[in-house]
Parts: sequence; C-alpha cells; structure tokens
Amino acid sequence: MDSQIHKIHQQLVNKDITCTALVQEKLDALKQNTNNTVNSLLDNLALDLAAKVDAKIANGETIGLLEGIPFGIKDVYMVQGTYTTASSDLLKNYKSAYTATAIQKLLDAGAIPLVKENCDSFGHGSSSENTIFGAVKNAINPDLVGGGSSGGSAVNVAKDYTIFSIGGDTGGSVRQPAGYNNVYGLKPTYGRISRFGLMAYASSTDCVGPIAKSIEDIRIVLNVMSGKDFKDQTTYASAEITQDSILTSDNIKTVGYFKNFIESDAIDANIKADFLAAIEKIKAQGITVKALDFFESETLVSTYYTLAMAETASNLSRLDGTNYGNRIEGDNLKDTYAVTRSENFSEETKRRIVGGNQVLSQGFSDEIYLKGLAIRDSIADNFETDFNEVDIIISPVTPNTPPKIGDSLKDPLAMYLSDAYTVGFSLGQLPTLTVPQGTATGLQITAAKNNDELVLKFANFLKDTI
Amino acid sequence: MSKIMTVDILSSIKGAQPSEAVNKLFEVIKNANTTNNNTFNNNRNNAVSLDSLRDDVVIESASVEKQIIIENFPKEKNGYLVVSKVIEE
Repeated sequence: MDSQIHKIHQQLVNKDITCTALVQEKLDALKQNTNNTVNSLLDNLALDLAAKVDAKIANGETIGLLEGIPFGIKDVYMVQGTYTTASSDLLKNYKSAYTATAIQKLLDAGAIPLVKENCDSFGHGSSSENTIFGAVKNAINPDLVGGGSSGGSAVNVAKDYTIFSIGGDTGGSVRQPAGYNNVYGLKPTYGRISRFGLMAYASSTDCVGPIAKSIEDIRIVLNVMSGKDFKDQTTYASAEITQDSILTSDNIKTVGYFKNFIESDAIDANIKADFLAAIEKIKAQGITVKALDFFESETLVSTYYTLAMAETASNLSRLDGTNYGNRIEGDNLKDTYAVTRSENFSEETKRRIVGGNQVLSQGFSDEIYLKGLAIRDSIADNFETDFNEVDIIISPVTPNTPPKIGDSLKDPLAMYLSDAYTVGFSLGQLPTLTVPQGTATGLQITAAKNNDELVLKFANFLKDTI
Repeated sequence: MSKIMTVDILSSIKGAQPSEAVNKLFEVIKNANTTNNNTFNNNRNNAVSLDSLRDDVVIESASVEKQIIIENFPKEKNGYLVVSKVIEE
C-alpha cells in the first residue's frame, strides 16, 4: 500500500477534506469499534488540534507533512494530562504528569493523537488478553487474538482507525501484532528513539516502534521520533533516512536465514512452506541466500524471559500505591504495599515479578541471571559474525498463526515459546521490521545495529519481489 | 539480617509462589553451555561511559506537572497528602 500520510497531507492541502472531519470520522470509528482497541479517547484534545490545523490551512499557511495526521498511542506512553493505565488495575486512574519524548516529537510535528490503545498490562503478554479493558480482537478474524503486547495499536492501524500507531517492543510486542494483523511494524535499533516517558518493562530491550500500512509511513514517523535525548542516556544521534535512499537495494547481495527456525518441529507447515517459497523468490532475483546456525529457540526464549523478568521486577517495584496508583490500605506500610500489589497486578504480571525476584536473589543470580547475561553476549557475538557474512537476515515472525482468544492464558509456557523468532533480535538490540508478506503472519527483516535504513531498503525490494 | 526472604516478601505480593512455567525457562538457562561465563569481563558493556554521563541539573517542574502529581496521590486529608502508617521493626 502507498503512503497514507502523503495522501492525507495532499487532501488537506488541496482542501478536499478538513482535518476536523477526518479526526471526527476516526474518533467515531474508534468509539464504535468492537475489537476492544481503546483504553481512552483523546477526543477534546484531538478536535482542538484539528481545528488549529484547519485554521492554518484556511489562512493559506504551509503545513508540515505530519500536521493533522491522526495517530494512536499504546497506553504505556506518558501524554501529559491523559490517563496512562498500562491496561492495569493499579494505574487505572493514573494521569501522566509529562509527555514522552517520542510522542512530544510527533506532537511538535503536528500529528494528532486520537487514542490511548489497549495492550497487555505493562507489556506483559503476547496476545493483548492480559488487560482490564477486555481482550483485543484480531483485525482479520475477531475470534483470534490481536497479538501483543501492542495489540490495540496494530488492530487500529489494520482497521484504518489510526493512520499510524506507536507501539512498544521489548521482545516482539510491535512485530508480532503487526504480523498477526498484516501491517508493518518496526523495532528500531535500541537507543535510536528515546524511551523517556515509556513505562519501563525491560529497560535493556525496550524500544519505541511505529506501526503503519506502508514502508514510507514507517520511515516518516521513524525519522521524526529518532535522535539523542538528554533524558535517555542510551539514545544516540542518527542520520535521517531519506525517501530516495531506500528506493534501491543494489547494495544488498547476501541474505541469511536461521535454519533451526525453519527445521523446528514447532513451526506451522504452511508458514514453513511459504517462508521457503519466499527464499526461492529472493534467490531468483540474483541474491545469494545463506542458511545460518543460531541458538535453539528454547535458549533464546529462556534467556530473554530471564532477563526481562529480572528487569521488570526491578522496574515495577516502584508501583506500591504510595505516591500514585490504586492504593489499598493494609495494617501498616509494608502490608499496604503487599495488599496493593497483590490486588492490583494481573496473574501474568505477578508471575513475571516473582520470576524476576527469584533470579535476582542470592543463590540463584549466578547460575541463572548472570548466566543469562553471558548467553546474551554470545547471542550478540553470533549476530556480529553473521553480519560479516550477510547483509540482511530474514525470518518468519511467529511459528504459528494467531491463537483463539482464551487459549494463551491457559498455557503461559506455550505463550513464551511463541516469541521464539522475535526475542533474539531484541537481545541483540537490532533493527527489525515486520512486513505483511511472505507468510500468514509476515516476515521479519533484520540488519546490523544502527542499520535501520538497510531494513527499509530491503522491505521495498521485497514488496516488489514477493 | 540473615533472615531468608521468600519470593512473596521480595515481591511484596501476598502468597506469591514460583511458577512451574517460569521454572522451566530457568532450567534451560542452568543447563545451557556457554563459552563465556563471566559477563563482566567482556566488551559488551551497555552502560554509559563515565565521560558521557550528563551533568546533574535541577529542572523546575511546570505547575501543571506538579498539579497532576498531587492529583495522582492516592489519599488526602485536610490539605495534606497521607501515607500509610510506618512501622519500625
């Protein structure tokens, strides 16, 4: 699909539509939607901003490319004065005191925020069922999950309720729902976009990620949000990716894939066949394709969850109902902490906090947590070696098609293992894009660190190839 | 201080128990072979270098930010923000 942003921009400039009418239409669609994608609507804010854009156009002033473009925000981003619940009971009445850097940059560019979007509570899940707002229903088949944790964001884009949405990806939370709903979803290189104002899940892999219906829209939004931020010391300065620079992919000569992903017993037969067919089409274009060795899926998933749980146990320890959150009074301070956390966290969030405290506690940290860190280093080394041999790595996004609503919650281990193809790239902090092509749940395109541009180039190549 | 702390105490979650699903993940890590067992002696340090640490600066919050922080406070009595009874052990 072509860029929605360019199309709407032109319609606004030509006065074919008004921004107010556009925003109202999207708000109405969101309000009526039955996919459970909305935690709260930002209707007053959005309509005020739309009126300003219309006034500017009426006065003959020039508007920027993102000015007046409606977008959605996963409900884990701070936007001053809006409810930011992380889809949790604990923060169901919490209002952001400030605005996240990535979102502020979009607001500064004139984009219009419509909605705080449903997701797994604190990002804890792969199906967007772990939420107090009701399970997000898949855009293509509402009996199936929307994917997670950024499920509401991916479904809103797929259903055209938002032009683009900003998700958060810690272990696949943008890429997997994008795959489940047939849209594009990018996890940029770690540190390319500031995490300031993104509610922390696992800080060493948390990434801000755009979801959209075209590569061009992903590029536009990525450029606006990228850059070094004083408030997030892990950010780095990056060059703008120009529209022309991603049109040709002549410098991509070699593509790799992980053979153990494809030879696994866990992969769906159709996804496997479709992936191998895609490989053949890439070869037919004169590109060399190499089968690469990689870590077993179980090792990847276990390493990711060990580290993510340890980090989330630390990050969520601040949520005790003292300064904010749904405090439930106990007999004394400690009891208040415990009752507040016991009553307000979901089962999945508790499971992860407890797991994290287990691996960080004395006697376990050496053989589990520190060993997990060592395996992560080996995984990163492995990627470094691979990218000396290949320009791009492609992989399926998920081993299976989306499960039915209700199935994932019954079997947490199966849910963790369903992240087998996404978590490795998170641990490597690599730029990875889901494209809605190749298999029923799409393909992932990965490049070396800081090479987000090459990922978008290859996506353009694939669009015309398969 | 030698008291053993169980996960429910460490997590401040009443009755919390280690989960079977999560323990299975940890078993995989325990049994994994690694070529590098000492993560502190390698070059994959994600921490910001001392030279690039930013200076400490005091930034005054906007009044709207302060107002929202007060609004978010769970309990108020006679104009004071109330915390739970603190006990000393």
